[in-house]
Amino acid sequence: MSAPLTVTSLTAGYDQADVLHDVNLRAQAGQITCLLGANGSGKTTLIRTILNLTAPRAGRITLAQDDITGKPTHEIVAAGIACIPEGRKVFAKSTVEENLRLGAYAEEDKSAVIARMQRVFDIFPRLNERRTQLAGTMSGGEQAMVSIGRGLMAAPKVLLIDEPSLGLSPLFVQENFKVIQRINEQGVTVFLVEQNVRQTLKIAHYGYVLAQGRVVAEGNAAQLRRDEQVQAAYFG
Amino acid sequence: MDSASILQHLVNGAMLGMMYALVAVGFTLFFGVLDVIKFSHGDVLMLGAFTALSAALGLSAAGIEQPLLQLALMLVAGIALTGLVGALVGRYLVLPLKSAPALNTLLITLMFGTALREAVRVFYPQGSNPKPFPRLLPDDALQLGALSLRADSLLLLALGALVIIATHWLIGRTKLGLAIRAVAQDEETAKIMGINYTKIVLITFALGSALAALAGIINGLYYNEINFSMGLNLGVIGFAAAIVGGLGNFYGAIIGGFLFAALQTIGAVAIPFGSSYKDVFAFAVVIALMAWKPTGLIAEQEAQRV
Ligand SMILES: Nc1ncnc2c1ncn2[C@@H]1O[C@H](COP(=O)(O)OP(=O)(O)OP(=O)(O)O)[C@@H](O)[C@H]1O
Ligand SMILES: [Mg+2]
Repeated sequence: MSAPLTVTSLTAGYDQADVLHDVNLRAQAGQITCLLGANGSGKTTLIRTILNLTAPRAGRITLAQDDITGKPTHEIVAAGIACIPEGRKVFAKSTVEENLRLGAYAEEDKSAVIARMQRVFDIFPRLNERRTQLAGTMSGGEQAMVSIGRGLMAAPKVLLIDEPSLGLSPLFVQENFKVIQRINEQGVTVFLVEQNVRQTLKIAHYGYVLAQGRVVAEGNAAQLRRDEQVQAAYFG
Repeated sequence: MDSASILQHLVNGAMLGMMYALVAVGFTLFFGVLDVIKFSHGDVLMLGAFTALSAALGLSAAGIEQPLLQLALMLVAGIALTGLVGALVGRYLVLPLKSAPALNTLLITLMFGTALREAVRVFYPQGSNPKPFPRLLPDDALQLGALSLRADSLLLLALGALVIIATHWLIGRTKLGLAIRAVAQDEETAKIMGINYTKIVLITFALGSALAALAGIINGLYYNEINFSMGLNLGVIGFAAAIVGGLGNFYGAIIGGFLFAALQTIGAVAIPFGSSYKDVFAFAVVIALMAWKPTGLIAEQEAQRV
């Protein structure tokens, strides 16, 4: 079920300038790999580039043995990469249930979709109570549940998560981290972008630090906690 | 006015409203998924009517005269070819201009519509003259007490209503509709869900164009005549109906279409010599409505956008 995601010598950016420069990293199969970095360092750009929402300018992205570089986004998703995007991005004018069904869009087997939805409801009973509510009318925390649940509906090999706890209360953030850990324990490879460094390093097996579009440090949690760059950026 | 002519006005108004609604739904679908206005829509409607007419003439020449079979094949030919043309317009004229200003899309489709219209005028045999459209539905009168109604009018109204309901079901209840609504709300997030964006956009263009073709064919069957410029008026009215209802909103398009037809009918009935002024009256009211509710009768925030 799980598979490693490998990024090799990746350069990418928007119209004017490159944002990512020669980025190399790897999310090990079945592990939680985190990506730390200051605002504007290029974390979201990296996730966008993995999904080819932003086209890579050089380099290679592989999922297990598959080269997915430059493939259309829907094929990359079909290959087994799902994403919980920055800012949640729920479909505001669709119901909770429709949002979840969209998460499993590539799945043709209806009974599999229903089974997955049941699992999401087990994790977030609130979503079950609010199945027919328009997602745009839910609270920020509830929308986060929709977004996470929607990501799970894909039953991905690799799950990319971009700042899931942005704007949430500490208690809810803690819940979220538990959920991410649970997802990972079921064998999903997790690539996690977070600003909440202390909690992230508690659950991550390995991590990278991005600064101005370059990987400037990597290591396991203990190593990163001691790293000067991380210290300067987050614990200073 | 006697009740017979009231009924006649009602049927006529309902027929027009349905045609406008079918055209307006196309505008709303295109705007929904791609935020574009496709100005060739009216001429695509005309293409649908002429394709169906050609199919009818071809079938007659081949000795297939059975009216219902002819009608079925005309519908299939007109709708299929027009749907295909709609998808091709999306693929080769609209999608490539996606990053350009919206005005460019408007202009390129306006030019395409003009070219299509001129091509029919020049290349269709005696294309600048009105063409008789075959009368294929039974036109015997149905007696409702003192009132009588033509069967073909009722059948056409039923067909249009059925198609509008089916389209509504497709958008609201099927997986394809779910994807269309997702793309309409947020293109990038729709892609992240694994939706093939280009495919959904092209299907939507085919769908909207097929609805226009149906409106064109219904128009031909109702008036028993079509001409190369029929799309101009129907296109502008359909566009106005979509805007008045709230562009991007399915119900708005239906309401806008029937509203416009109601205004025309009221204009024709209530104003002395009104039948010549009915369009002036209807457009004047629509202009006033737009000044009063600039974003349409159904505001986008409150309503489900397709
Ligand atoms: N669509 C875009 N067009 C042009 N430049 C962009 C675009 N998106 C991001 N950038 C630029 O790319 C750089 C990296 O942005 P990115 O969103 O990847 O940062 P980030 O690490 O995710 O930041 P944050 O922690 O604030 O989310 C920034 O300088 C930003 O201004
Ligand atoms: Mg970001």
